[in-house]
Amino acid sequence: MITIVPNDFLYLGPLAVLTIVGLLLILAEAFAIGKRRRFLMQLTVAGSVMAIFAAIYTWRSIEPGTQISAFSGMLIADRMSMFLCALFAGSTGLIAMLGAAHQREYDWQVGEFYGLMLLAAAGMCMIAMAGDLITIFIGIETMSLAVYVMTAARRRSRRGSEGAMKYFLMGAFASGFLVYGMALLYGATGSTNLQTIRSVLATSQSSSLTVAAIFMLIVAFGFKIAAIPFHMWAPDAYEGAPTPVTAFMAAAVKSAAIAGMIRIFVQALGGAIVPFGQVGWSSIFAIIAAITMTVGNIAALRQDNIKRMLAYSSVAHAGVLLVGLVAAGIAPEGEGLASVLFYLLAYSVATVGAFGVVVWIGNRDRERVLLSDWYGLAAAKPAAAMVMTLFMLSFAGIPPTGGFFAKFFLFKSALMAQDQALLWLVIVGVLNSMISIFYYLKVVMAMYFRDATGEFKPLNSGAVTFVLVLCGILVLQMGMMPTSWLGYLGV
Amino acid sequence: MTGASALLPALLALPLIGAILVMLLPKEEPGLARGVSLGVSIATLALSLVILGLYDTKIASMQMVFDKEWIPGLGARFKLGIDGISIFMVLLTTFLMPIILLSSYKAVTSKVREFCALLLILEVGMLGAFLALDLFLFYVFWEIMLIPMYLLIGIWGGQKRIYASIKFVIYTMAGSLLMLVAIFYLYAQYGSVTGEYTLELSLLNRLVLPRDVQMYCFAAFALAFAIKVPLFPLHTWLPDAHVQAPTAGSVVLAGVLLKFGIYGFLRFAMPLFPYGAAELAPYMAYLAAAGIVYGAFVAFAQSDVKKLVAYSSVSHLGFCMIGIFAMNTQGIEGSIYAMISHGLTTSGLFLAIGVVYERRHTREMSEYGGIWKQMPVFAGLFLICMLGSVGLPGLSGFVGEFLTIFGMFISGGTAGEPSFWAEFMPHPMLLGAVATSGVIFGAIYLLYMFQKMMFGPLDNPKNKELKDVSWREIAVFTPLVIGIFAMGLFPKPFLQTMDPTVDQFVTRFEAKLAEPDGPAHIMGQAAVAPTPEPAQVEPHAGHNHAPGEAAH
Repeated sequence: MITIVPNDFLYLGPLAVLTIVGLLLILAEAFAIGKRRRFLMQLTVAGSVMAIFAAIYTWRSIEPGTQISAFSGMLIADRMSMFLCALFAGSTGLIAMLGAAHQREYDWQVGEFYGLMLLAAAGMCMIAMAGDLITIFIGIETMSLAVYVMTAARRRSRRGSEGAMKYFLMGAFASGFLVYGMALLYGATGSTNLQTIRSVLATSQSSSLTVAAIFMLIVAFGFKIAAIPFHMWAPDAYEGAPTPVTAFMAAAVKSAAIAGMIRIFVQALGGAIVPFGQVGWSSIFAIIAAITMTVGNIAALRQDNIKRMLAYSSVAHAGVLLVGLVAAGIAPEGEGLASVLFYLLAYSVATVGAFGVVVWIGNRDRERVLLSDWYGLAAAKPAAAMVMTLFMLSFAGIPPTGGFFAKFFLFKSALMAQDQALLWLVIVGVLNSMISIFYYLKVVMAMYFRDATGEFKPLNSGAVTFVLVLCGILVLQMGMMPTSWLGYLGV
Repeated sequence: MTGASALLPALLALPLIGAILVMLLPKEEPGLARGVSLGVSIATLALSLVILGLYDTKIASMQMVFDKEWIPGLGARFKLGIDGISIFMVLLTTFLMPIILLSSYKAVTSKVREFCALLLILEVGMLGAFLALDLFLFYVFWEIMLIPMYLLIGIWGGQKRIYASIKFVIYTMAGSLLMLVAIFYLYAQYGSVTGEYTLELSLLNRLVLPRDVQMYCFAAFALAFAIKVPLFPLHTWLPDAHVQAPTAGSVVLAGVLLKFGIYGFLRFAMPLFPYGAAELAPYMAYLAAAGIVYGAFVAFAQSDVKKLVAYSSVSHLGFCMIGIFAMNTQGIEGSIYAMISHGLTTSGLFLAIGVVYERRHTREMSEYGGIWKQMPVFAGLFLICMLGSVGLPGLSGFVGEFLTIFGMFISGGTAGEPSFWAEFMPHPMLLGAVATSGVIFGAIYLLYMFQKMMFGPLDNPKNKELKDVSWREIAVFTPLVIGIFAMGLFPKPFLQTMDPTVDQFVTRFEAKLAEPDGPAHIMGQAAVAPTPEPAQVEPHAGHNHAPGEAAH
C-alpha cells in the first residue's frame, strides 16, 4: 500500500518541473501556430534550467551518502539521482537549442518535439530516482516512447522512418524482456522494491528464477545502451534521426539507461550476490563490455558517415561504461560508481558538442554528414574545427580534456576493484582507446589535412554557437580542473 | 626558495600565453605571428637561463620545487621540479625553439599563425613533461605533446604525411596506454600498502613491488619509452615521421621528443622498478647495440638524405640506451651528454637539409654534388654539424659516445671494486665493442653523405644557381655551432652539473635493488621475518580485528 507523506514532494523538484513544463509545451504547441515558434524553444530551455536549479537545491538538502526513500520506496532521493537529473536536464536544454536551429533550417517544425523532449527527460529523472522495479519500467517507457516519436519527427525523411521503425520494434521487444525479467525477479523475491529485493537475495540461495531474470534484464538494458550484441538498431536509428535527436539518444538516453542499470544491477542485485557465486552478473557484463568496446571501435573505423561513426563510437563508450559498472558492482566501497557518473558527464558534454558541430556545419542544400564533406574545415572555419577537435580528443581520451580524466578515473577505479581482478578488462579497455584514436583522428585529419570541397555555409544561429562554446569550455575545464566535479560526486 | 619556485610554472605559462596570443593575432599578418612567437620563445629561453643561473650545482635532489594540490580526490599534485638531468633537457628545449621558429620563415608560408601556436603548445608539453614530478601530471603533458606534433606532420608535411602522422600517433599511444595500466597498478599497490593514494613520484619511488611484478611494470613503462627512443625494432615510425615532417617538425622530433625515451627510463622506469630494470637490462642493451649497428647500416643504404639522418638517430640513440644500462656515473652522464649533443648536431643536419630542400625541393643525394663551390658558408656549417654527429674529438658528439662506451666497458666494475651491476649485465665488453664499431660505421655513412652532396664536380645544372645561406640562416646555425664546439671543448661544467644527481641516481638504484623480494612494501620496511606473517586476517573476520594485526 502506498502511503504518501507530504515531505516526499520536496524531493520531486526536477521531475515535477520537467513534467509540468513538458505538458505545458504540448499545450502551447496547439496555440502557437505560425511564427512564434522561437518561444517553444525558449520555454524548453527555461524548463531545463529550472529543473537544474531544482536538482541542485535538492542535492544540497540531502546529506552525502544517504538515500531518502520517498513515496513508500517508489522513489529514492540521493545525491547521485540529483546529479543525474541535473545532467539530463542540462543535455535536454542544450539539445533543444540545437533543435530549434535544425528545425528552421531543414523545415521540420514539429512543435511536439520540445514537449516530448522534456517528458522524456522527466522519464529519465524517474529512472535515476527509481526505488522500485515499477518506477524503473514507467520511467523507461516514458522516455522510450517519446524518443521513438522524436526519431521519426522528420516525416518526409525515409531514413528517419526506417530508423524509427527499427528502433521502435527492437525497443518494444526489449521492453518485453524487461517486463519479463522484472516479473521473474518478483517471482523469486516476492517484491518489486529494490531494497527488499536486495535483502531477500542476500539471505536466500540463488534460484534458477533469479538467473533467468538477470539474463532477461541484461538483454533489456543491453538494448537500451546499445551494447553488443544488442546494438543493431543503433547505427540506423542514429543516422536516420534528425541530428539533435541523435544527440539526445546518444547523450541523454544512454545515460538514463546506465542510471537504471546502476539502480537495478549495482544497488539491488549487488555484484557479490547472484548468480554463479561470487562475481554474479558482473562477469557477464565484463565479457559484454570487452566485446562491446572492441567490436564498436572496429566497426567505427570503417564508417564514412559521421553520424554513423559517432553511433558506433557511442556503442564503444557503452562498453567502457560497463567496465565502470562492473567495478562498481564488485567493489561497492570503491569509486566505481563515481567514475561512471563522471564518465557520463564527460561523455554527454562531448556528445552534445560533437553533434552540435554536425548540426552547425550543414545546411539544407548540403547536410555535410560524410567525412569527405568536412575536408578543409580548419582552413575555412578554424574555431569550429578546433572545438570539434576538442570533442574528438575527449572521446578518444587524450588530455587535457574531460574525456581523458573520465577514462583515467574509470579505469583506475576498475583496476583497484578486488585485487586487480579486472586487470584484463582494463588492458582491453586501454588497447581499445588506441583503436578509437584512429577514427577520431580521421575527423581531425579531414578537417585539417585536406583541402575544402566547396564553400562552407554553416548555420547562423547564436544558440548553436552558444552550445558549442559552452561544451568546448566544459570539456577543457573538466580535463584540467576536475576537482569540483569530483566534489559533487562525493569523491 | 619560495621566489624561485614560481619560476618553473612561469616557464610553462610563458609559451602557453604566447600560443594563445598568437592565435588571437589577425590571420592576414603572418609576419606578426612569426615575430611574436619568436619573441616569446626567446623570452622562454631567457627565463630558462635565469633558472640555470639560480640552479645550485652541488645539490643532487630536486630544486625550485613547485608543489600545489591539484586533484585531491585522486592524489594527483601539480608538482614541478628540476634536477641535474632535467635542467639540460629543459635548456635543450628552450634553446632549440627559437632556432626552429626562425628556421621556418621561408619553409612555412601557409597557416603561419597556427604553425607558430602549435610549436609553442608543443613547447609547453615538452617542458611540462620534463619538469613533472607527479605521474598523472607527467602523463598529461606526455600526451599533450602528441597532438601538436601530429598536426605539424599532417598539415605541413610531405606527400605521405597522413600515413606518417597517424603512424606516429598510433605507435606512441600504443606504448603509453600500457604504461597507464602500470601507473594504475602502482597507484593501487601504494594505496593498499600505505593506506593513502598518491601519484607523486617521490612517494611512489619508495614503494618496492614484488620482483616479478616489477618485471611486468617495467616492461610496460619500457615499451612506452622504447618506442619514443626509438629502440630497435620499434623504430619504424621514426623514418616515416622524419621524412614527411616539415624541417621544424623533424628538428623538434629529433632534438627533443626522442629524448623523452631516455629521460623516461631515467626518471620513471628505472627508479620505480629497479629489479625489473636490472632483469631486463641485458635485453635492452642488446637491442640498443643491435640498433646502433642496424641504424648505421640502413642509413648507409639510403638515397634520401633526410632518411639517412633519421636512421642515424636510431643509431645515435642506441648509444644513449647503452649508457643508461651501464648503470654507472660515466655511462649515464655520457648518455645525457650524448642526448644533448644529438639534439644539437642532428637538429643542425635537419636544418641543413631544410636549407638545400628549400632551394631545390629534392632530398635525393644523387641530385646534389659539388655544392661546396656554390655554397661555401653553408658547407662549413654543415660540415661542423656533421662532424659533431660523427663524434670527432673536440666536438660535442665525441664526449658522449666516449663516456657511454667507457661506461659500458666498466659496467661490471673495475679490477679493484666490482660493481653490483656485474650480476645483471653479461658481456659488457662485447656490447662495448659492438657500440664502438657503431662509431666507425657512423663516420662512414655521414662522411659518405657529405662527400656525395658537397664534393665532386658540380655537374647537375640545376645546382649552378644555388645561393649561399642568407643572414637569417646563418643566425639559425650559429647558436648550434657554438653549442657543438662548447660541448666538445669544455665538457667539464656540463658534467659537473650532472654529477650529484647522477651519483644519487645510481646509489638510490642500488639501494632499492637490494631490497628483499616479497610482497609490496615501503623501502626499508620489508617484513623482517622470512616466515609468512603469523596473524592473517581471515576474510570473514570482518572489521573488528585485534589492533596489533594491521602492522603493514
